[in-house]
Amino acid sequence: MADKTLKRYFDVLEISPDASVLEIRNAYLLLKKLYSTDSVVISPIADEFSKKERREILLQVEEAFDKLMENLKNKQNERHHRIRHQPSASVPAGEEDEDVSYSGLELKKIREKLGVPLFEVSLDTKIRMELLKSIEHEKFDVLPPEVYLRGHLINYANYLMLNPKKVAGDYMARYESWKGGKKGGS
Amino acid sequence: MRLQIIILFRGTYRIFSLKVDELREEEEGKIWAIGGGKGGTGKTFLTSSMGIYLAKNGKRVLLIDVDIGGANLHSFLGINRPRKSLTNFFEMGIPLSRLAVNTSVDNLSLITGDVHSLASDSIKFTQKLKLFRHIMKLRRQYILIDLGGGSHNNTLDTFLMADKKIAVLEPEIIAIENMYHFVKNALYRKIKMSLKAYGFKEVVEHMWEQRERYKIKSLKELIDSLKESFSHLGDILDKELSDFKIYLVLNKIRSSQDILIGSSMKSIFNKYLGINAQFAGYIEYDDAVWRSIRERRPLMLNYSLSRVAKEIGVFTENLLHEREMKVSRS
Repeated sequence: MADKTLKRYFDVLEISPDASVLEIRNAYLLLKKLYSTDSVVISPIADEFSKKERREILLQVEEAFDKLMENLKNKQNERHHRIRHQPSASVPAGEEDEDVSYSGLELKKIREKLGVPLFEVSLDTKIRMELLKSIEHEKFDVLPPEVYLRGHLINYANYLMLNPKKVAGDYMARYESWKGGKKGGS
Repeated sequence: MRLQIIILFRGTYRIFSLKVDELREEEEGKIWAIGGGKGGTGKTFLTSSMGIYLAKNGKRVLLIDVDIGGANLHSFLGINRPRKSLTNFFEMGIPLSRLAVNTSVDNLSLITGDVHSLASDSIKFTQKLKLFRHIMKLRRQYILIDLGGGSHNNTLDTFLMADKKIAVLEPEIIAIENMYHFVKNALYRKIKMSLKAYGFKEVVEHMWEQRERYKIKSLKELIDSLKESFSHLGDILDKELSDFKIYLVLNKIRSSQDILIGSSMKSIFNKYLGINAQFAGYIEYDDAVWRSIRERRPLMLNYSLSRVAKEIGVFTENLLHEREMKVSRS
C-alpha cells in the first residue's frame, strides 16, 4: 500500500503513522463509539450534525481501521516468512493464525494485549459479561447451548479481529472433547 | 554556544547574554489566549498556573487579564488588585509596559483589566487594534491572556489574534455546548474577516442572516455553500479552516472516562468543522485547587508536588512543543 494512502488512514483515525497496534485499535474504538452514539459531546450539535454525516465518518473510520490492520497483517506475514525462509504470498491474509489454537485463555490473552476491558467487549458485542468470563475461563458447564455459543464466539472473534471460523472451530472442538469426556466419565 | 561567547566577550558577557535572551524573545508563538465560552471552567486558574510554571522554568512571562465579567487574576497570584489597569491604556494612553506589575514570582508580571476595559461599547475597534499592536510589541517570551467567559466580539477578536488559541472546558454538557458556540462564533468571525479582503464580507453576512432562505442550518453548511457558489473561495476557505488551530484543555475531570471527552471534542472539531484541534491535556478535580484559591496561595507554589500541578506542567509542555495528549485506555 502506498505510504500516502496509509498516511490518510492514520489521519482518519487521528493518530500518527508510528502508532502501535494498540493505539490504532484504541483510536478506532473511540471514534466508532463517538460517531455511533448520541453522547454528551454530540447532543449539543445533534440538530446540525446529521446522522448521515456521522454515518459517512463511521464508514471512513471502518475503512481506515480495516486497511491499517490488513497492512499490519501483511507486514507480519512478510516478517514471518522471512524468518522461516519461506516464499512469501503462499499464505493468504487472514489465515496467518493457522498455527494458533484458540482456547478461552488464548482469547483472554489477546483481549488483554489489546487493552480492552471485559465490560467494554460486553457493551460493544452485547454479550453478557458473565458469559464472556465463562467463555474465557472455559466454564463449559455453564455455557449456553452449542448453537448460541457458536454465535457468541463468532461475535467475539470478530470483535477481536480474529478469524471467526477458526476461533469458533477451535473452541467448539475443545467444548466437544469436554462433553465427550463428561459422557465417558459418567 | 554560550561558553564561546564568554571566552570571546569576557568583559561584556553580561550584556551580550542579555542580547541573546532578547533575540530569543522574538520567537513565534508567544501570545497565548485562554478562552472557551463558559465561565467557571477554570480559565483564570489555568492562566495563572501556566504563567507560574513558565516563569519558574526561566521564561519571561506577562499575564494580561481581560476578563470582562470579573478580572481577578491578581487574586490567583496572591496579590492585591493593582491600581493601574488597561483602562489607563485606553483612556490615558499609558504604555502597556508601564502598566505591568511584578508578582511574587520572578519573571512573572501582570497587567490587569477591569470591568470596563474590554466591555461591549466602551472601546472602539481602532482602540482594540491598537491594544493588539502594543501587546505584540511587548518584549516578553510569553504573554498569556485570560479572556474569561462569553463569546463577545472583543473576546473573540482577542482569541483570534493570539498565536496559540487555548480553549478550556469541563466534562459537562453546558461547558461543551458553550465551547461549540464559542468556537463556531470565532470561526465565523475569522472567515468573515478574511473574506473581507476579497470583498466577500457582505456576502457572508447576507447568507448567514438569510440562512433560512438559503436553507443553511449551520456554520458548516454556510462554509460548504460558500465553496459551492464561489468555487474560487474554496482554497481560501480550506486554508482558513486548517489555519484555525485550537488547543483543548479539559479541567476538573473526575474519571478516566472524562478524559475521552477531550479526545472526542478534538475529533468532532476536526471531522465536523474541519478545523485543526489538538487535545493538549487535562487536570483532575482536586479540592487543593479550591483551597489554594481561597487561601490566596497559588497552587503551583504551595502545592507544587500535587497531581494537579504535575498535570499543569504536562499540558504546558505539550503546548510549548505542539504535542498531543496521549490518551491510554484504562
